[in-house]
Formats: sequence, C-alpha cells, structure tokens
Amino acid sequence: MIGELTKSERQGALLILLALAVTGLAMAVGGSNDPLGTHGTLVMVVAIVGTFAVITGYYAPEPPESRLDSYYDTPTKFGIVAAMVWAVIAMAVGDWVAWLLAFPEWTFDAAWASFGRLRPVHTSGVIFGFGGNALIATSFYVMQRTSRARLPDQLSPWFVLFGYNLFCVIAATGYLMGVTQSKEYAEPEWYADIWLVIVWVTYFVLYLRTLNRRKEPHIYVSNWYYMAFILVVAMLHIVNNLAVPISWGSAKSYSLFAGVQDAMTEWWYGHNAVAFFLTSGFLGMMYYYMPKRAGRPIYSYRMSIISFWGITFFYMWAGSHHLHYTALPQWVQSLGMTFSVMLLVPSWVSAGNALMTLNGAWHKVRDDAVLRFMMVAAVFYGLSTFEGSFMAIRPVNALSHYTDWTVGHVHAGALGWVAMITFGAIYASVPWLWKRDGMYSAKLVEAHFWLSLAGTIIYVFAMWNSGIIQGLMWRTYNESGTLAYSFVDSLIAMHPYYIARAIGGVFFLLGAIIGFYNIWMTIRTASQAQSQAEPDYSAVGIEIPAVQPGR
Amino acid sequence: MFGFHYRLERKTIGMVLGIIGVASIGGIVEIAPLFTIHQTVEAAPDMRVYTPLELAGRNIYIREGCYACHSQMIRTLRDEVERYGPYSLAVESKYDHPMLWGSKRTGPDLARLGEKYSDDWHVAHMINPRDVVPESVMPAYAFLARTELRTDDLGKHLKAQRAVGVPYTDAMIANAPADAYGQASPDSPAAEGVVERYGKATMVRAFDGKPNDLTEMDALVAYLQILGRLTDAAHKPVASAEKQP
Amino acid sequence: MTITHDLLVWFSKSFGLFYLIGLSLIVLAYAYWPANQKPFEHAANAILDDDDKPYRG
Repeated sequence: MIGELTKSERQGALLILLALAVTGLAMAVGGSNDPLGTHGTLVMVVAIVGTFAVITGYYAPEPPESRLDSYYDTPTKFGIVAAMVWAVIAMAVGDWVAWLLAFPEWTFDAAWASFGRLRPVHTSGVIFGFGGNALIATSFYVMQRTSRARLPDQLSPWFVLFGYNLFCVIAATGYLMGVTQSKEYAEPEWYADIWLVIVWVTYFVLYLRTLNRRKEPHIYVSNWYYMAFILVVAMLHIVNNLAVPISWGSAKSYSLFAGVQDAMTEWWYGHNAVAFFLTSGFLGMMYYYMPKRAGRPIYSYRMSIISFWGITFFYMWAGSHHLHYTALPQWVQSLGMTFSVMLLVPSWVSAGNALMTLNGAWHKVRDDAVLRFMMVAAVFYGLSTFEGSFMAIRPVNALSHYTDWTVGHVHAGALGWVAMITFGAIYASVPWLWKRDGMYSAKLVEAHFWLSLAGTIIYVFAMWNSGIIQGLMWRTYNESGTLAYSFVDSLIAMHPYYIARAIGGVFFLLGAIIGFYNIWMTIRTASQAQSQAEPDYSAVGIEIPAVQPGR
Repeated sequence: MFGFHYRLERKTIGMVLGIIGVASIGGIVEIAPLFTIHQTVEAAPDMRVYTPLELAGRNIYIREGCYACHSQMIRTLRDEVERYGPYSLAVESKYDHPMLWGSKRTGPDLARLGEKYSDDWHVAHMINPRDVVPESVMPAYAFLARTELRTDDLGKHLKAQRAVGVPYTDAMIANAPADAYGQASPDSPAAEGVVERYGKATMVRAFDGKPNDLTEMDALVAYLQILGRLTDAAHKPVASAEKQP
Repeated sequence: MTITHDLLVWFSKSFGLFYLIGLSLIVLAYAYWPANQKPFEHAANAILDDDDKPYRG
C-alpha cells in the first residue's frame, strides 16, 4: 500500500501521523485520570504503528506514471473489507443486546456489559462502521467511474478511510467506558466529533477535486446523492454536537442547547441522519449499482432528479414528528407531520424508479441473488418510507411512539433497505475490483440472501406485534374507567417477541458472516490466481480488462 | 435562464451551494423560532438548578445509557397523564443540557419519578431489579454502590454548565465537591451549605443508606428523586394555549 | 427592533410555503426542460459503458 504513494505523499503521511501521535500524547497526558487519556493512548499507538508502516515502505520504488491509466481502487477494497468487519461485529453486538432484553441477567455484573453501554456500540457500529465504510468505499468507486477521472491523489483517500475508522473505534470503545453525550446516534464526545469534522472536510474536498477533473459535463445523479450525504451530514453533525467540554483534560462536555431546543436540534439531526446518511447516500449507491448490474439504464433519469430535490428539501422539515404531543410547540409538530406525509412522494418515486429499472430484467432478478438483494432493498425502501410517513401522523404516533413499533420500523429500513442494498453493491463490486468472473461461491450469496430476508421478516413482524400490543395495552381502560394494565403487564407480554426478534437477528448475523467468508475467499483466490498468472502486471502497467456483470 | 442553470450545475460548486441552501432553510425556519420560545413558555419562578450531587447522578444516568430505555417526557395524552402524572412542560427541562426526553419505553417513563419510591427501594432496585420487580428486564447496577463518586472536578462541571446558560453562582461552583458530599451526609457540617445554596426543599439524605461514604449510588438516587421536582409548574393549571392538543 | 416569537413563527409559516412552491417549480422546470433531455439520457446510458479506464486528455 505504501508503494502506491508517491515520495511526497509518503512524507505527507509521516507528517500527519506525527501530528496525530503528538495529539494523542497530549490527550494521554492531559486526561491521565479520565477516559480521554485512554483514548489519547489509543490514538498515539495507532499513529506510531502507522508511522512504522510508512517508514518500512518508505524506500520502496515510486508508483509508475502508468498508474494514472487506471482508477485508484485500493482504498475502495479496504473500505469494503472494513464495512464487512464492522457488519459482523456490530450485528453480533446488536443481537447480543436483543438477547439481553429477554435474559437480563447476562451482564456479568460488569458496567461495560450492560444494555445501555452496548446498545450504542451496535447502533454506531452498524450505521457508521458498516454503513459509513460502505458509503465511502462505493462513493470512491462510483465517482471515479461516472466522472471518468482517477482520484486526484493517493494520500487523501487513505486519510479519509483510516481517519473515519479511527473515529468509529474511538466511538465504540468510548461507549464501553461510559463516554457518551447521550444524543441518540450522535453519542461520541467532543474530541471524536472534532476529529470527524477534519476527516469529513477532507472527504468533501476529495470528492470535489475528483468531480472537477471529470470528463463528462453532466454530473451523474449518484454523485448528487453522495454529495448531499457528505454535505448535509457535515452540517447536521456540527450543529447538533455544539458543546462545551468541562476541561481540555476531560471527555465530558455539556450540550450548548437545553430542553426543547435541544430536543428539536437532536431530532432535526436524528431524522436527517436517517435521510442523508441512511437514504441519500444509499440511493446514490443504488442509482449506480442497480442499472449496472441489471445492464439497463435508470428507468427515468428525470424522476431521479426530481426525487433528489424532493428528498433534500422535505426531509429537513420532518424531524419534529419525533416529538408529537410533547412540550414542543404544536405548530412545529404539525409542520413535521405535513412534510413527513409529503415525503412519501419523492420516496416512492425513487422506489418506483428502481423497480421500473428492473422491468425487462426480471429473469436476471430470478437467477442472480446479487440483483435480488438490490430489488428487495428497493421494495423495503418503499415499504419503510410508507410506514414512516404513516407513523408521523399524530394519532398514529400517539400509539406507536415509545414502543417497539419504532424499533421494527427502523429495522425494516436498516436491514431491509440499507443492509440489502449494501450487500448487493458489495457483491457486485468485489469481483470487479479483484478482477474475478464472480464471487467465490454463488451458492453462498444465495444463502446469504435468504438468511437476510428471513431474518428481516422475523425481526420486523416480531417488533410490529410487540409494538402494537404494547401501545394498545398502555392505553386500554377497563369498565370502571381506569387503566387496565400495569407497565409490568406489558413487559411480560413482550417476552416471546423479544426472543423471536433475537432469533431473527441470528439469521441476519449468520448471513453477514457467510457474506464475509465469501468475500474473503474471493479475495484470496484472486490474489492466488494473480500471483500465478501475472506476477507483476501492475509494475509494467498492463491494464487488465475489467470483468463486467450483466452478462 | 436554464442555460444559466445548466452552467451552474456544470460547476460543482453550484451543486454544493444548491444542496446547502435547500437543505439548511428547512432547519433554520423550523428551529429558529424555538430560540425565542421563552417568550411564550410558562414561567416557573420556583425552578431551581440541579445540585452538584444530582448533576453527578444525571451524568451517571447518561453514562449508563438509561435514556435508551426510559423516556422523561409525558405526552399530552390521557392515558399517559393517568399513568405517569401531569404532562411535561418545556420549562421543566430548561436546564437540561442535553435533554433526556428519550424515544423509547422499554421501561416506564421517569419524568415524575421523584419521591414516588423510597431511597431504599431505589438502592435495592439498582443492585438487582428483579429483587423488587421479578419480571424486570433492566440490567443490574450493583457496581454503583461500590464505586466511589468522583467529586474533584464537579466545580468544572458547574462552570461548563454556567457557560451554556445554567445560572450557577460563584459560591455554588466553589463549593461543588463539598456540597456533593454534604447532600449525602446529613449530619456533616457540609450539609448546611447545600440547603443554604439550593433551597430548603433540597433533599439532604444518605441516599444509599451509608452516610459516611459518597458513592455513585448516592448520586444516581439523588437524581432519580429530584426528577420532576425542580419546579411545581406542571402541577398548576397551565395558561399556554399553544401547547394544548 | 426585537425579534419576537410571533414574528418568527409568521415568517416560518408564510415564507416556507412560497419557498416550497417556488422550489418545486424550479426543479420541475429543470427536469423537464427539453434541452436538458440529451445530457440526461447520455448520463443514464454512459454508466453502462464498460470502458473501465479514466479519461486522460
């Protein structure tokens, strides 16, 4: 990997790592009796290991000029493997905490093992670790191809990927130590947030630099979605995480906002994290990989543009539907509800556009599990956006809010849409990236598909049942006009569903593990085949024609 | 005009500005009025700030991720009011940096938990929830009772709170560690200062049942016992028309 | 002049509506503008092109 960097890039890498090591040292010393110190040590160790890696490869020959004749895909390869590693870890933690709700004794009297500390490891691990790495990796791939331009340099993509994963590791280990801001989906503390801003700005600049080198005058629509993802997530992240640390030597900070402002800011963030992290970015992914895999252009390019602006605009107003009937002013609640319902239009335009793209390629969907992943993702996208608009209606929300229905809804989106489209995109790009005809085993892809689908359905049905039962039990009155059930009654009624949910999770996790194995074996056979057939093609600069799908 | 638009789009920066513009206006329009909301919100002159011990307890509540399963926001719905108490007012969380309204009730709402149960009940419940509620799925937090509370940096905590707008006085900041100790040690000389600075209604008790050592259990129970009791505003008839459903 | 809550709410409610309508019109016009059809169609088809090399000019 170091061999792919030019001399000046190697020097740049050393400088960055040196600065990082010094920062880590400062954190370790300044926060010596605080979790901040532990993270400082972690940062320093990472930076030192990185420095050694660069020094070891420092005198390797510079990459040949001919590298500019091909796209720079090594970062994408790294990002895909990282995404799969996070998927397995974070889904395993998720399933573990699902079991904890059925068997709460399994915490070994240890603080780190309790539900409250493990849950954000699951949510951040899946959203940022798995989803984020997949988005960054595929965005590098897509922006190069659609712009017909190579990444402008070899250092910044690595900075983005390593920096981002360092953020994820700091976040996850922090939760185990009790470091959290308690803002849902924005739990990492101030120092991790600042680091993410640095990484994110680099990512944004890298994207712009690549787009500015493009050959095509028109920017392909996938890039619009990816750009909205990068830009708006930056905006949300900075505003929602404004906070005052208690000192430079402490991990703890206090949010700048309080009470109702904080609630509105948090759910403006929270809902738009769903919109721009979990929707916009993955739509960008879908608009490239689905046509490519199906061998057909998008059904309607116009509709993809209209729904882009619709999503970018409407989502911003919808966050307040998380706060129906609370102390938030009612006009803000009504506004949120109205826009949430209107959101259905661009969302269904996107889902319909995706499914219509497959029209005429249904035989491929039948035979090709990879395309089927993408098709099911589009269906779940349509379903969960409908469900979301429905749940944003005030009277429906009165029943559904605070219950497991919300959890079911989120997982219909996260498992059915986000994870499925990601697996589809990863299975499509792995053979292209490692120059293979296909995955190591098509049967295992098939197995992964059915496990994922079964797991999602079990999970979602369990949570629909438990959520609606819960909501109804909480509001049922008996004949004498008093509440019929105690809270504990509802808790007892949840038990079988919590077990069913955890079993659904096992299915999904098994699928991800199989997927990881399959990808790993594809990479291994690729490197074996490569070392036998053409030992040094990259050195002499012969471009191997890419194996394309849609045969 | 659309030649212009097309050129705009060819320049990547045009796209960038377009996205920022379209996306940010929604947030600004929606959130900006909330920063003047104090003009319409019910006043609560009796509202007091968290004591250092309660604040430390609140931070433990945050640290352990309690908000993932417990809300602190009673909605304006009949069954919620009957189950949990008067619905929550905006003013009640005006010193909450960050708010802990929550989004999920795997366990019950806690907005009006204060003084509903005894200290002993809370301690037993934290040590093993299933000793008092056999069907509970809450994790056990026995380690809180054997972990000493860190108080040396409480002054810094109060200072940071003041920086974001909570009216802590210089005396409160200077005496924060002593006040934390005093609130859980009723017979110690430090106890008087707590009442002096935070009001007569402040609960000064050995929350974990052991007056001589200050544990995280003390802090958490002190916090749970103050939930919904920083002001009486919610128990009075409310005038604000806009928040009635 | 002080910015009152009522003023901000009024602005949010009125301006938001015009903004919404105006923006929809611009987007629809852009998407359906006849001259834009060619680049759109070209873009939709270009990604299917299997030439997996960056352009160097």
